[in-house]
Amino acid sequence: MTTSGNVIKLQPENKNNPPVSENFTTEFERIRPALRSYILRMTASAADTDDIVQETWYKASRNLDSFQGESSLKTWLFAIASNLAKDHLHRKKRWPERVTDICKNAALANPAFFGEAMHLRMTSPQGNFEIKEHIAFCFTCISKSLPLEQHIALLLKEVYEFKVKEIATIMELSEAMVKYYLHTARTKMIEVFDRRCALINKEGICHQCTELNGIFNPKQNAQEELAKIDMARAAESADRERLFDLRIEVLRGIDPFESGAAALQLHHLEHNRKVMEEYLARTQE
Amino acid sequence: MKKLLMLLLMATPMIISAQESPAFTTRKTFSRTTSVSTMIKADPAVIWALLTNAVDYKRWNSTVISIEGDIAPGEKIRLKSTLDPKRTFKLKVKTFESEKRMVWGDSKGNRTYLLTDKGNGMVVFSMTEKIGGLMFPLYAKYLPPFDATFDRFAADLKQEAERISRNDE
Repeated sequence: MTTSGNVIKLQPENKNNPPVSENFTTEFERIRPALRSYILRMTASAADTDDIVQETWYKASRNLDSFQGESSLKTWLFAIASNLAKDHLHRKKRWPERVTDICKNAALANPAFFGEAMHLRMTSPQGNFEIKEHIAFCFTCISKSLPLEQHIALLLKEVYEFKVKEIATIMELSEAMVKYYLHTARTKMIEVFDRRCALINKEGICHQCTELNGIFNPKQNAQEELAKIDMARAAESADRERLFDLRIEVLRGIDPFESGAAALQLHHLEHNRKVMEEYLARTQE
Repeated sequence: MKKLLMLLLMATPMIISAQESPAFTTRKTFSRTTSVSTMIKADPAVIWALLTNAVDYKRWNSTVISIEGDIAPGEKIRLKSTLDPKRTFKLKVKTFESEKRMVWGDSKGNRTYLLTDKGNGMVVFSMTEKIGGLMFPLYAKYLPPFDATFDRFAADLKQEAERISRNDE
């Protein structure tokens, strides 16, 4: 494998190269955290994420000779992972926009949920509760209401900062279609958050992040915590587009597997995933 | 040569008007045809995506209340339009040539969407609806005029397609 600028050229396996080059493994490990958080945000399942990331490594390492260096290694790996995730999600229904309402009701009806969460809060080094972590969590759940192609395009562009051309390569689409998916996804998410999120709209119907903060951090002043978050501070002065950009900045700053609240949020996410699977199995929504 | 240039200059507005025309209606005894066309600076794929994504119509098209179903070859859709909000039109997608031509309609009439790629990122969009048949004279007077709605449809499509295509990041 040789590196030229940002483009990494991989040499196929042969007598002179080890089965999987050390450089490839090093590069893969460098990209793995972004890949892992991307797949988690698509699947909402930590177990499925690890399977897909592992499968990505396996597929990539077995197909190094097909990597021609026409894109960066990161783009190539994201393309493989995206295809695997798409295959995995293809037959699954998309979540409804009101996912957080449905899951909140299920949590309230399930005493074990808060018991487990409180245990993590008290015992895990990654069991903190932070409002900004919940903002990112909320985005993961609600973005699963977008059609799959829109969801992928939005994550790649807004959170992982790929260019339209790179996304077109990853998704095997024209740049025009990527722009269409991005526009429709962004417009829909802005509209959903504007209608729902009480952090940016006084009329918003969802206060879950501050409610949970009251449960997990009873001695904390929620207003003081909110004042530390740019999006909440700008709620009254910024327009909806800007508030969405600030929400995305929160996501970009959080690795859902490594943050101080990871254990608690992953527990919460697994709960929501199970609730959604049961809910979607019994409804036509 | 001078005459040729003069002829070309005279013909230019006619060519432009053939590509970009506000809605107009032609009435005959047994049919009525309304057409509109507009020039759009966008990739045909974007315009096609807007025209064929049923659930997205309501967001960008001020003449559509809702469309249910898949806008795909042979599929049936249920359209509610601002032309007659109480009525649901049950239509079939009869022709579907990707990024070129689509026809949907019922037994009384057809609506045809046509995209003509002019190169340089320009596309002519035209939409024509022909309603007719032997019974047409009996109900013709109950049909609302389409011109204003057609103009709004074309303007909305142009605005949305060009907005999406401007995103160059």
